[in-house]
Amino acid sequence: MSEALLTATGVTKSYGATPALRGVDVTVAAGEIVAITGPSGCGKSTLLHCLAGILRADQGSIVYRDQDINLWSEASRSRLRRTEFGVLFQFGQLVPELTAVENVALPLLLAGSGRREAGEAALGWLDRFGVADLAEQRPGAMSGGQQQRCAAARALVTEPRVIFADEPTGALDQLNGEQMMTAMVRAVREQDSSLVLVTHEASIAAYADREIVLRDGAADPSGIGIPG
Amino acid sequence: MSTAHVLLGLLAAGPRHGYDLKRAHDDRFPQAKPLAYGQVYATLGRLERDGLVVRSGQDQESGPERTSYELTDLGRERLDTWLTEVEPPAPYVSGTLFNKVVVALLASGIDQATGYLTAQRAAHVTRMRELTAIKTRPGANVGDVVAADYAIGHLDADLRWLRTTLARVAELQKEVTA
Amino acid sequence: MRAGTLVRLSLAGNRTDRLRTVLTAGSAALAAVALLAAATVAAIHGGNWIPDPAQPDGGGQIMAPGSEQYTSPLLVEAGLRPGVIFALLMLALPVLALAGQCIRLGAPARDRRLAAIRLAGATPGQAVLIAGAETAAAGLLGSMAGFGVYLGLRVALHRRGADGRLVLPTDVLPNPLIVIVVLLTVPVLSGLIGVLLMRRVVITPLGVVRRIRDRGPRPWPGVLIVLGLVLFAPRTLHLAPADWRMPEWAPLAMMGAGVLFVMIGVVAGTGWISYTAGRLLRRYGRGPVTLLAGARLMADPWNGSRTLGALLAAVVFGAGTLGFRADLSAEFDARARFDELADPQGGRYGTGDTGFYYGAIRLVMMAVTIGLVVAAGGMLVTFAEGIVARRRAFAAMTAGGVSRGKLGATLLLTTFAPLVPALLLALGSGASLMRTIRTGVTVGGGDPYQVCVDPKAQDFSVCARRTIVDPLVHWPIPVPVGQLALLGGGALLAMLLVAGAGMLVLRSSTDVAELRAG
Repeated sequence: MSEALLTATGVTKSYGATPALRGVDVTVAAGEIVAITGPSGCGKSTLLHCLAGILRADQGSIVYRDQDINLWSEASRSRLRRTEFGVLFQFGQLVPELTAVENVALPLLLAGSGRREAGEAALGWLDRFGVADLAEQRPGAMSGGQQQRCAAARALVTEPRVIFADEPTGALDQLNGEQMMTAMVRAVREQDSSLVLVTHEASIAAYADREIVLRDGAADPSGIGIPG
Repeated sequence: MSTAHVLLGLLAAGPRHGYDLKRAHDDRFPQAKPLAYGQVYATLGRLERDGLVVRSGQDQESGPERTSYELTDLGRERLDTWLTEVEPPAPYVSGTLFNKVVVALLASGIDQATGYLTAQRAAHVTRMRELTAIKTRPGANVGDVVAADYAIGHLDADLRWLRTTLARVAELQKEVTA
Repeated sequence: MRAGTLVRLSLAGNRTDRLRTVLTAGSAALAAVALLAAATVAAIHGGNWIPDPAQPDGGGQIMAPGSEQYTSPLLVEAGLRPGVIFALLMLALPVLALAGQCIRLGAPARDRRLAAIRLAGATPGQAVLIAGAETAAAGLLGSMAGFGVYLGLRVALHRRGADGRLVLPTDVLPNPLIVIVVLLTVPVLSGLIGVLLMRRVVITPLGVVRRIRDRGPRPWPGVLIVLGLVLFAPRTLHLAPADWRMPEWAPLAMMGAGVLFVMIGVVAGTGWISYTAGRLLRRYGRGPVTLLAGARLMADPWNGSRTLGALLAAVVFGAGTLGFRADLSAEFDARARFDELADPQGGRYGTGDTGFYYGAIRLVMMAVTIGLVVAAGGMLVTFAEGIVARRRAFAAMTAGGVSRGKLGATLLLTTFAPLVPALLLALGSGASLMRTIRTGVTVGGGDPYQVCVDPKAQDFSVCARRTIVDPLVHWPIPVPVGQLALLGGGALLAMLLVAGAGMLVLRSSTDVAELRAG
């Protein structure tokens, strides 16, 4: 693997008095797929949110391309998420009032692209995830699997350097989940992007090159044994 | 016994000769152990003896002489019977993995069992990752994907059992030390 | 983000969002009309007392020309007009509160939408812009409509009384600059309120998922009420250094700010009242109804402020007006008593034009009633929306075996448990406003003076004289308990009607099929 793209060191985060992360180190290399796994409540989603700059870590640094993004303002981190990162959640988090193509085009539109070129790019991505025929549908009229594919298309439309996916297949059945993962992994490999994947399913974690197992907010040494 | 049934199944589409059958088998079962050429002919001989296949012709277009075989009515009947027969689900709970864990717990205590389980888990995860990589490879065909799915499903079940067992053993240890 | 994107994202919305836009625009229009009416009255010139130029020695005073064309002395006399302006401005407050309520409509869905947009990479600024643009646009639309209505009313109400004088100031227009300021006030205010209401989403794109509420609301808004009363009280002005020349408008501005503070204090204090009521219900209540209602009140203590805001604002204003009425009537009573006691040869107040003053107050109370009706409409919308927004919870409870009657009782309890104390607070603080000025009227009591015994006597220095002692009348101002009770009862009745209508919505919202939806 090439050098580290994203390096988190000693990340801690608490919700009120409840500690969620107690000092976690993560390194993601360019082009690498990393799975974060662990039992429910181990802090894996919180870690992902901190890595993606959605949450601000209490302590520790999150260095992306030699810059500690944990120190950045919310607006700068939003801009980073829009341009360099892609984010995908369990329940798609599509804007219910916008059509599929508008949803996918949204990051481009927010970045200042024109309606037409954003729409064209969005359509291309919908096609890659096999849902181009739903372009004019609103999320309410789609199945969970279709919504999730749109959300994945939205996460990838800006051709981000790193994609963060939090239980992306959690709401999907086996086949839908696998198809989505396959499409996503292929896209990630093609663009030479990195993917950080939170999941509790071993069969989904197997899409990654490497696995980080968390337990009670810290890396779990007994869950390792992964070479490299 | 299933190699015979597999060959009967491959012949169901029409007559084929031995080399053809081997290639078709390796195509359809990409992740399985490849079929030896000799095994194909031995099995075909047995099927012919039982009246399930007959020689249907010879051609010598390219290379050595080849004898093609086709299914008899009896053979088709046997194939149908096999396909409709229900396989008994897990008649005996055994398997090397399972046996080893039980023996490890019995013979060498919790610590060694945990050590073995952790190492075994890592091996499973690695194998699962390899199989998953086959699925995401551009141009992976349905045969590859279906075969990988089958193995991944089993590995996943093993892993789940391993994880539960790890947790159980850990709890047991807590009780013992408490 | 291009302008087209902003427009598209601001206009993305469901039925509730469109309803919100319409209602926000409607209330903005009403507020604009009230504010423009105030500005119009402010535009009238003349009517103040100036030295009579015909008597250069300063013997007499005449009224400055410019306002003699109106029927009502409220418009003619410069000294009375600030009161009219004040009343019109105060009337705009409940309407603005209603606009604030409308902005909250469908907020959960919008918060989710904005959080999703944030996740897609919008900066906090962009999210604020999108939300603010929507509300501000609705407000601007409403202001423009209000301006149209105002112009229409000017034409429609251009009537003359029997003496040929104008009933309303339909002949003057406010300064265009003021018109623009008024028309922009509402959209800017609504935009700001909209931004304020979505501050949580600004903080995190995870929306409300990660929200932690460690403590309930605190009773700090009480401080605001006290501050409002202090600002209103004329004694506060005496605290200023004697040599400090205050601008002429300062006392009026302070009184306005006082009323505004009290209103905000009451509305914001409802959060604490709700929370405390919920805690008491949970601690001392028996049965599922009190438990559910208490839990609901504690979980969302601001719901009361949102639903009841406009109503409470109107009640504060109404109670203030009733206090003023009590003050006025005590003054008249004291004067009548003085006249009874006074020497026939001494000074007298005479019967005066009490009907005029009471008429003016009746007009204000009518405005308050309109405010209550407006508020009731807003409450109905918010109330029904609150039920629809929680229809899944209701359906789940129905599926779990909670009867519809119990749910209805819970809903009533959640509404009225905070409403009753909040209403009492609104009535109390509203009525207290006038009482900060004085609690009793003192009339007469001047130094004794002498007059000629014979009223026809020509020369004061030679006539026989007698001393007249001015009577001193001290008249306490009663608290208008009966009228306040009537006002409070009216507000309760309005809420009861609203709750009744809301029950119809509940009926369709407890359908178990809702559990499958969305």
